[in-house]
Amino acid sequence: MPTASMLLPTRDSRALLIKWIVGLLVPVMVFTFVWSGEAIINNVLLGLINPGSTALQGPVLIEAAIFIVVFYATVIALTGYLVAADSGRRRTIDLWIDIVVFTLVPLFLVINFGLVVGAALCAIIWPAYFFVRRRVRQARHYTPPPPLKNLEVSDAEQRAILMSRATTAGFWFAFAFAVVWLIVDLIYFFVGQLPTVLLIWVVIRTILLPIAGYFLGRLGGAVALRRTLAAKSNGSKSDGNVATNGDGRRVSKKRQLESLSTTRAREEAKDLVPNDLPLRSTGAQRFYLILIVAFVLFYPVLDPFLFGSGTAGRLAGYGDAGYYVILALGLNIVVGFAGLLDLGYVAFFAIGSYAWGIIGSTQLTNVLGQAPVNPHILSALFWPMLIVGALIAAFWGVLLGAPTLRLRGDYLAIVTLGFGEIVPIVFLELDKYSNGPNGIVGVQSPSFPGVDWSVITPVPYYYLILALIAFTIFANVRLRDSRLGRAWIAIREDEIAAASSGVNLVNTKLFAFGAGAFFSGIAGAYHAAKLGGVSPDNFSFGDSVIFLAMVVIGGIGSIPGVIVGALAVYAINQLLLAQLDSLATDPSNPLYAVHNAIVHFIPGFTFDNIRNLIFGIILVVIMIFRPEGLIPSARRRREFHAIEEDHEIEVGALDVVPGAPGFETEVRVE
Amino acid sequence: MNFTLLLQELVIGITTGAIYALIALGYTMVYGIIELINFAHGDIFMIGTFICITIFDQFGITASSAPRGFSLIGLLLLALLGSMLICAVLGVVIERVAYRPLRNAPRLAPLISAIGVSLILEDVGKLWKGITIVSFPQIFPQITYYIGPVSFSSVDILVLVVALILMVGLQWMVSYTRTGRAMRAVAQDREAAALMGVNVNRIIAITFFIGAALAGAAALIWGLKYGNTNFTLGFTLGLFAFTAAVLGGIGNLVGAMLGGVLIGVIEALAALIPDSSATGGFGLPHGGAAWHEAIIFVVLILILVFRPSGLLGQQTPEKV
Repeated sequence: MPTASMLLPTRDSRALLIKWIVGLLVPVMVFTFVWSGEAIINNVLLGLINPGSTALQGPVLIEAAIFIVVFYATVIALTGYLVAADSGRRRTIDLWIDIVVFTLVPLFLVINFGLVVGAALCAIIWPAYFFVRRRVRQARHYTPPPPLKNLEVSDAEQRAILMSRATTAGFWFAFAFAVVWLIVDLIYFFVGQLPTVLLIWVVIRTILLPIAGYFLGRLGGAVALRRTLAAKSNGSKSDGNVATNGDGRRVSKKRQLESLSTTRAREEAKDLVPNDLPLRSTGAQRFYLILIVAFVLFYPVLDPFLFGSGTAGRLAGYGDAGYYVILALGLNIVVGFAGLLDLGYVAFFAIGSYAWGIIGSTQLTNVLGQAPVNPHILSALFWPMLIVGALIAAFWGVLLGAPTLRLRGDYLAIVTLGFGEIVPIVFLELDKYSNGPNGIVGVQSPSFPGVDWSVITPVPYYYLILALIAFTIFANVRLRDSRLGRAWIAIREDEIAAASSGVNLVNTKLFAFGAGAFFSGIAGAYHAAKLGGVSPDNFSFGDSVIFLAMVVIGGIGSIPGVIVGALAVYAINQLLLAQLDSLATDPSNPLYAVHNAIVHFIPGFTFDNIRNLIFGIILVVIMIFRPEGLIPSARRRREFHAIEEDHEIEVGALDVVPGAPGFETEVRVE
Repeated sequence: MNFTLLLQELVIGITTGAIYALIALGYTMVYGIIELINFAHGDIFMIGTFICITIFDQFGITASSAPRGFSLIGLLLLALLGSMLICAVLGVVIERVAYRPLRNAPRLAPLISAIGVSLILEDVGKLWKGITIVSFPQIFPQITYYIGPVSFSSVDILVLVVALILMVGLQWMVSYTRTGRAMRAVAQDREAAALMGVNVNRIIAITFFIGAALAGAAALIWGLKYGNTNFTLGFTLGLFAFTAAVLGGIGNLVGAMLGGVLIGVIEALAALIPDSSATGGFGLPHGGAAWHEAIIFVVLILILVFRPSGLLGQQTPEKV
């Protein structure tokens, strides 16, 4: 158990602890007290103590409880990790500004504008922030401070120091949080807003939190230490006999590093402990991932607390955002991985939509010339059709790919554009099959035993699209890291070099088109089923362009980037700009005055009229501020901002890398 | 098939194609020099049509009160120069604001920026003239001439003459003037051109200036020929014009002209394909006119399959 002397921070780690505990505590407190964190917790507790007393019952209650536990535990463990992983080459003030911009600003935006719109505003603010930060640093000849302390994490003693630092951080973070919470709750209690039963919880929590913090901090420290290299002495003598000293994993990691190319090694080196950019290290990303997955998974339960009434409408909207994510990820395979500019991606989306639209509606009768024998099983066909529709789209993707094999650059783009124009015209004019310009109505929704798929209950659709997105992400990651994925990246970088190295250009390109089309087929089938119809208006060149904008704005070739880009563009285009007019009717909103001022000059002005204008300006501005995209892939990031300050820091991190003698000199030459 | 009808459609196709070609020149010049598909170019054309209408409105001119003789020529020249100049300035401003900061960015970043500018211009057009189809005063006297059974009007001649003068002028400028040589140098190798003392930024700006000016000229003759415009016109025509540029071999001026005329002709000939329901199965549902866009792209794809660099594009061997 913790003893007082163990947990008292030493002088040199005190600054580090303050830096991170304050940095993380503020956003957590904003979530808990300003937003609805505490409301959820109190409702969960009341539900547990007195079943039936709150809106939360049964599985919903358990889901909310799991979320709360996972959320706070992850944050505390993250504190431990960050303190252990920080090499101190970011000034406290820089870090706090970063945390404000990347957590507090989004939190307040989300609280005020709703989830997706808030996120979209972040997509505009963040590039501007990066741009300004880079300019300011260049102007002031920014140099990062020296490392906090030259920790040789290979040393057992130093490892113990790191571990104790992480433990201390977890403990004090939890302790500080518990104290603040206690004060807040006491105030609430004396004001009379806190039910008396919950006082027991307040006491238990105040005791429990620091203890949990101690162990979670250890956990964070352990995560950080798992990513260190083997001890120097150890490494140099155990080359070749990996498993002998029980350090097999770490030694092999080091040998991997030695065998990697310089640039790749630099990427890997960022994850060494201590890390110069702890917030961006892959270790921290694991924690973010847990937070995001927990949030997304339990979102339907949390939504009423976070944003009040209107959950159903919001969830339905997120279902729409979801298929844009799938489409953007699919397009990313073609454009991002294989580097083939596709301006007609909407064609495959149309094919997928019509595949389910025709099979899943009375249109099938027109096509077959007779009514289907067993119409009520049609909706169950959705599940196989999800795959079949995707395969049909993939087939057409390959078919389109075939004539483009000899083309390069923008000749390829124009052929794909042509295909994107031809397909909707075919669907528009072949009205025997597609019902022409009227589109198909009455498309069946999916069916699944025990689940209500009617339009008024968006939750099944939310989880369906979540599952589809999860599958798409998984498939994308696996494809990217596969032999095929490396071949794609190779032909993107240099076709001739790739061909000379034995990459089969024909197969590789066709697979890229096929794989990209496959996912848009899935998105199309989902789209038709959710909308309950297919309209030929949804498949114009403008849509292809929007998909492309999602990929480029997010960061070409980067899976998280493309997801963020898709959500951001969807939110800006469909939610934020569509809302401007209704926002402008509210006199307390600043837009009200803006609107009145413009109407004075242009009678009959509505924001809807200049929607594309604003969207266009946003596109241009984002591109100028951040041409490599919001979250560029590691490979791309290296190509830009070559003189940026992060770059220097990364080189600093390489000094930690022990090993191959040629390695360090190779890196220093730049 | 009726031979007269075919010839008649050819006349229509060549006139429309000449306008496409003028717009396509802007695409191909910009592409040749900075390898960017300038999606905003079609919308510059659309703004050009609105400028012409505004100029005519300023003089209070309608189809009935149109002047005749020299004052008509003066008015047309004024509209032509006004439209060309304003469009050209617009093109240069767009280059300065939206493309120049992205000169060294990844290839797709300026593309998205161009799409953004295109959306902006479309909404500017919408705010300016509304969403309805705007009619263009028919001030040029319509006289119909016949060569045998094939008819063509005075406007057709005007279109061809203006387009031809501008194309020949451009070709001369690029081939024989100092600026033209600098443009070709920048297109070939930007860095080497800069080392030889060419002001690359200025040359790129000039390219945008000329390309947009041609779009402005195309705007006037489009208005005189078809008599209407709309804020989405730039998008549709821009797509065809860009296709024309690629068809002829992007970066190649003569190719763009050829491609433009070819697309115009294909579009006109497509209208001759009969409706499948009317003629007992032969043809396409709803007739060829409904499919003209699809037919253009099918032809484009077929041509590119056999000539991957377009009709007149050079088959450059790949550099290792």
